[in-house]
Amino acid sequence: MDALFGGLAALADPGLLFLIFLATLGGVVIGALPGLNATTGAALMLPFTITMDPIAAIAILTTIYCAATFAGAITAILINTPGTSASATTCLDGYPLAQRGEAGRALGMATISSTFGGILSVLCLMAAAPLLARMAYNFAPPEYFALTVFGISMLATIGNGTPMRNIIAGLLGILLATVGKDLLTTVERFTFGFNELSEGIGFVPVMIGIFGISELLVQAETLAVEKRRVIMKAIKLPSRDDYRKVWRTILRSSGIGTFIGILPAEGATVASMIGYNEARRWSKTPEEFGKGAIEGIAGSEAANNSATGGAMVPTLALGIPGSPTAAVILAGLMVHGLQPGPTMFTDQSHFAYAIFWAMLLVNVMFIFVGLFGAKLFARVAFIPIPILWPIVFTFSIVGAYALDQSMLDVWIAIGAGIVGYFMRRFGYSVVPLAIGLILGGMLEKRLGQSLIMLDDQWWLMFTRPLALLFFVLTFLALFGPFLWKRFVKRPSAAATRE
Amino acid sequence: MARFAVPVGLLAFCAIAFWLSTQFDRVPPILLRGMQPEHFPQLVVILIAALAVCVMVFDPVVEQQRRPARMVWISMGLFAVFALLAQVDLFLGLGVFAGALALCWGERRPWALALVAVVGPAFVFFLFDQVFEIRFPRGLLTNLWYG
Repeated sequence: MDALFGGLAALADPGLLFLIFLATLGGVVIGALPGLNATTGAALMLPFTITMDPIAAIAILTTIYCAATFAGAITAILINTPGTSASATTCLDGYPLAQRGEAGRALGMATISSTFGGILSVLCLMAAAPLLARMAYNFAPPEYFALTVFGISMLATIGNGTPMRNIIAGLLGILLATVGKDLLTTVERFTFGFNELSEGIGFVPVMIGIFGISELLVQAETLAVEKRRVIMKAIKLPSRDDYRKVWRTILRSSGIGTFIGILPAEGATVASMIGYNEARRWSKTPEEFGKGAIEGIAGSEAANNSATGGAMVPTLALGIPGSPTAAVILAGLMVHGLQPGPTMFTDQSHFAYAIFWAMLLVNVMFIFVGLFGAKLFARVAFIPIPILWPIVFTFSIVGAYALDQSMLDVWIAIGAGIVGYFMRRFGYSVVPLAIGLILGGMLEKRLGQSLIMLDDQWWLMFTRPLALLFFVLTFLALFGPFLWKRFVKRPSAAATRE
Repeated sequence: MARFAVPVGLLAFCAIAFWLSTQFDRVPPILLRGMQPEHFPQLVVILIAALAVCVMVFDPVVEQQRRPARMVWISMGLFAVFALLAQVDLFLGLGVFAGALALCWGERRPWALALVAVVGPAFVFFLFDQVFEIRFPRGLLTNLWYG
């Protein structure tokens, strides 16, 4: 209880509240800008938070996460271009509604659903994260190693790549994490004589490169795309009939989103797709979906915003990112010298609760920003790409330089951007690379500690029940879909044919 | 060919990374606790190589067969220009890159070009210098401020 109110007190600073308000506006702008999303926005903002107090820094990053996820709906509804991939399903019904002259109603529903989903997920976060952390408090290195392996195995299902390519990208990230001094033996690896690399490759330049600079190159291919805006008269709050129609959908999607968010590495995009599909499956009028069903907007938006709170559960309690943006936030925590995990809830509980309160606050701010500012923020999407991206590049380069004030980081960011662009072209998602880079050091350290603890008898890890459970879950995450297809789907298809 | 290009590239990368890992210093067995420093990177490299072979066999490329747009290559060329100019001054490089990129991407309005090439970098410089107290490398333009 002390920690709960301590966190609230830490947030009661007017300066910090003003920063959170600005970050909400900034997050909404980022979410509405073409090509920028919550992950890129958080990566670009990371250098700005370096000199800040850790609470302010992480509160700002989480605020941007929540606000940008919400703002994707604005452009999805008004110009049929999802500001973030998590809002892609919102286009399906939001844009048709806008074309029918009901853009205000669609945006109103998106705002209310997002707010409700976000608040519910933060309440779950407040309850679940400390419990999970308490459970994990007694984990020994083998359990942590197995848990980290499980977290990495979940990379198979994220991003746009196929599972094998995602795992390769994740492993490349882990390999990058081995650059620098080995933590156990202090032997230098892959440093090529650069002293700056002794401490390893920084998260910030790589994140800026693979999310920001690679997106610049992607945008170079979309210069000819024309956007059409739907005229919107005013934002309308959903009617009582609308509420009656969607309250179950909002509740269901909020639950789905929170659960999906809690799963390591799964984020708002997956949540919104499942939330939307479930809304259609349970609807009395599924034929209206895709033509402007208000339930479709509620299902998608409640799910994607509730995933933000869910994603912070494993991030803070276990140190395993719950989504790509949570990975950037995790990097932010590490840059500030904070170690996410069970000890955060014992040694820095005020800090953890301050983040929860900040997320709760930003979800309340959505109502005002969404209802009164959507019309204005939709205009942001029309900033010409030739003006926007050179400025983003300037921020990216200076941001990459700022953390260690090293030009090597600038070259790393540009290199990571080019590599990231080609990865995306060849169907390798860059998200697993980022998460692999963050978890790589942790994975090696815990493997080394486990080997020391078990006297080099690594197979003894399988005799520890919890570690074994995580290894079984890893196996299922990697091979489950294949086994399902091979042994469950095929016989049933054969039976249907018969 | 595209099906094999990336996996073969990955295999070549793995071969180089594995060879580099064999050049690491080793810890004498009597002092060793846990693994030798090369063991973990080698394990990762072997896994990448194995998966690259699997991708080649089971996971052929189906998307993005076309070549990158001309503008992508131009943008990458501008990265090289930036890298050269940054040796003279980081912000000179940023200004020229930003202006040239906007121009290549079709922006013709002078005020917009001035915004991205002059106002943007200058704003970022003063923001980081004054608010975040970041010291930038000395160069042709930054020396005007640093003296």
